[in-house]
Amino acid sequence: MAPRQDTPFRSADMSMVQLYVSNEIGREVVTALGELGLCQFRDLNEDVSAFQRTYTQEIRRLDNVERQLRYFYSQMEKTGIPLRKLDLDVDRLASPSTTEIDELSERSEKLEQRISALNDSYETLKKREGDLTEWRWVLREAGSFFDRAHGSVEEIRASNDNDDAPLLSDVEQNQGAPDAERSFSGMNIGFVAGVINRDRIGSFERILWRTLRGNLYMNQSEIPEPLVDPANNESINKNVFVIFAHGKEILAKIRKISESMGADVYSVDENSDLRRDQIHEVNSRLEDVQNVLRNTQATLQAELNQISQSLSAWMVLISKEKAVYNTLNNFSYDRARRTLIAEAWVPSNDLPLIRSTLQDVTNRAGLSVPSIINEIKTNKTPPTYLKTNKFTEGFQTIVNAYGTATYQEVNPAMPVIVTFPFLFAVMFGDFGHAIIMLSAAIAMIYWEKPLKKVTFELFAMIFYGRYIALVMALFSVFTGLIYNDVFSKSMTLFPSAWEWKKPDNWKEGMSLTAELNDHGYRYPFGMDFAWHGSDNDLLFSNSYKMKMSIILGWCHMTYSLCFSYINARHFKKPIDIWGNFVPGMIFFQSIFGYLVICILYKWSVNWEEAGASPPGLLNMLIYMFLQPGTLPNGERLYKGQEVVQVILLLLAFAQVPVLLFLKPFYLRWENNRARAKGYRGIGEVSRVSALDGEDEDDSRPNGHGPSFDDDEGVAMISQNIDEDHEEFEFSEVMIHQVIHTIEFCLNCVSHTASYLRLWALSLAHQQLSVVLWSMTMELALVKTGVLGVIMIVVCFYAWFFLSIAILVCMEGTSAMLHSLRLAWVESFSKFAEFAGWPFQPFSFDTMLEESEELKEYLG
Amino acid sequence: MAQGYSIWIGLAVIVALCVASWFLSPKGENQVLWRSSLMLAIISCYLMWLITFLAQLHPLIAPRRSDLREAYLE
Repeated sequence: MAPRQDTPFRSADMSMVQLYVSNEIGREVVTALGELGLCQFRDLNEDVSAFQRTYTQEIRRLDNVERQLRYFYSQMEKTGIPLRKLDLDVDRLASPSTTEIDELSERSEKLEQRISALNDSYETLKKREGDLTEWRWVLREAGSFFDRAHGSVEEIRASNDNDDAPLLSDVEQNQGAPDAERSFSGMNIGFVAGVINRDRIGSFERILWRTLRGNLYMNQSEIPEPLVDPANNESINKNVFVIFAHGKEILAKIRKISESMGADVYSVDENSDLRRDQIHEVNSRLEDVQNVLRNTQATLQAELNQISQSLSAWMVLISKEKAVYNTLNNFSYDRARRTLIAEAWVPSNDLPLIRSTLQDVTNRAGLSVPSIINEIKTNKTPPTYLKTNKFTEGFQTIVNAYGTATYQEVNPAMPVIVTFPFLFAVMFGDFGHAIIMLSAAIAMIYWEKPLKKVTFELFAMIFYGRYIALVMALFSVFTGLIYNDVFSKSMTLFPSAWEWKKPDNWKEGMSLTAELNDHGYRYPFGMDFAWHGSDNDLLFSNSYKMKMSIILGWCHMTYSLCFSYINARHFKKPIDIWGNFVPGMIFFQSIFGYLVICILYKWSVNWEEAGASPPGLLNMLIYMFLQPGTLPNGERLYKGQEVVQVILLLLAFAQVPVLLFLKPFYLRWENNRARAKGYRGIGEVSRVSALDGEDEDDSRPNGHGPSFDDDEGVAMISQNIDEDHEEFEFSEVMIHQVIHTIEFCLNCVSHTASYLRLWALSLAHQQLSVVLWSMTMELALVKTGVLGVIMIVVCFYAWFFLSIAILVCMEGTSAMLHSLRLAWVESFSKFAEFAGWPFQPFSFDTMLEESEELKEYLG
Repeated sequence: MAQGYSIWIGLAVIVALCVASWFLSPKGENQVLWRSSLMLAIISCYLMWLITFLAQLHPLIAPRRSDLREAYLE
């Protein structure tokens, strides 16, 4: 059979293929197919756990490389080096060879070691730098303390060997004395100097005081600048302390206490010259350390900078490689023949392309063993593959949100492209708001490329639906013109059909009724502006919009119901036509089709000329059911109305048994006939050759090769074939049909009523914009003078932004949701089955698009 | 200008448009999409116009208002 062209009308034809690929080029083949993105591979090793699969080793290795790359990324974030993001639209990465991947993994291994070594040394150096800084502070603070203390040391009693000596010697007496440079050591006083966390200083002091019973002199000062803790890069405030005490043991005790309190003790020389030397030494060491530190950091940054140039590309390559091996793990490996066997769903029309790709890969590898691709017959349901383009993508997505269409049934997204925006527009009909929306949609489409990069979620969602917004806005422009509404005002595009005549006794504020012109002229396009703002505007527009809702709903549902005929024809199920479509259609048309005809007929009759009072259609419909054969109050629409209505009613009710019984009994008859002839269901006995009944239960070991069937040349390797196993069960079919019948008949009523939302929402939209105008602009327009000028500016902004926020965004969203419901429920329930499963081919493009991890690497 | 028979003129116009969109739709994979969408859009728009026009063809009520200025009246 000649393959049909794939259209968006229904799912593309799918075939199940088997691939025989030599083990050596398995990876290359899968890479090429991944670039192509047309094959959905089946898992042939379902009973093998993830750890036992053939390529687990490779995946582990790649996981490791990925971890290393992520480590680089975290290091780069730490040092603030920007990542060069990969723009997939600009650079296409060539698929790498195995050696390239090996090189990459080796290289990242080396780089990781290098970077972690650099990091380690950086941290030690940082620690040393911190220590030296602290020491310097101790030296500085303690030094200044000593300097202050030396001024008064002479006043302290020099020693206690001379009891006569005065406690305080005369200042003059000691001036110029040779022992002026006496030190604390001379007095047998020692000291401990160090640095401690500022928070702990209180408790430190207390503990010292208590343990030494006050035998100490403590001096402390705050370090003005916070120090950096190298362990966690946090800054802490510290204090320098100097503690003087008497006796070696006490000093040792102080040291111990300080250490246990987390203080760092540094040696400080009390001699000022030595101390000066010490400071010099510390300074020079600090400088050295800082130099080395700077160098290390520069090296690290240079290294990371270099990595940042290609990190994104590496990440993408590794993810692709991993995906390839994950796919290869789904393949069955025949050890004896050293071939990989894969099964995949592919679009039938793309088979030649896949075949030639496979051929290319084999040729490039220079293998003598050809790769074989075989189409196999299967009774499994193929996945639904609905091709989309930039325009249809959004529409298809809102349909897929409801469900995946059954394979080969009419794509429900086809009519949705028009009906969804159109019904939206019926509710959103305002020329002005539509123009705002249209400009937004056009802007999004015009600046498509730059806006694509925006990652703000809400905007990305609106941007994704830009073409939907475009069509919605276009239809809204049209309906706005029809409703003759622009920001709640009317346009006078054509002369009105109504004339306001001045009566003889006219006075201001008199209630006037317009008169219709007498030469049969009617407002040619949309609503006559004479209605706008009149006292009985709502009376007229409600009747008009309500009837319009019913007519549009009837059209929408009839149109949708027709698709069920197309589906039944396509699936060659005539019983669905005669048992479902025809009786359903007759039922629907004889009630609601009749109502629509009555509406149109009533409009077309000039009741004034006919001299009859126009009948109320609602009453007519109610009486048609309650008292068939009579008319309410003798309100007659046309001659012979009673008879027609009785016939239609009988016709409608006659369809109920047809709907109920025809299909189940026909199916039973068909099944019985087939059984009488000796046919049996496929699922009952037969099994595809490779898997015979007896080894159904034994678990198949990895690498168990398929048997080859000579007559068909094919065998399904995979299991679970028996899902299509279907036995005829009359009661089930009957119950199903009863539910369908009840649902259909009730839905005809409730769905028609549901379309009245078109009227309700368009009324709400129009009234809301009237209210907004009267509360902002109208207030400003009646004022004059300076106040008027100011008010008009303020009110205009209020009106404009509220218009956009409430009437365009909020009302637009609400109208969209209602229209969505009309598509999902009212329309789809008439024809779509939604029993399919989506085609998700193995494709690098979708993988990269959908991956959350790679988002930060892709620009 | 716009009399009762205008609906037939409108019908003729949209039939012509539908025929045109059937034959002028770009060939290829998406031809069915073009045809279906264009025709559906044309018919929907006509339907809406038709309903609005018919609703005003033989109006049962006339607009009434009491806030008109003298200059506006004929």
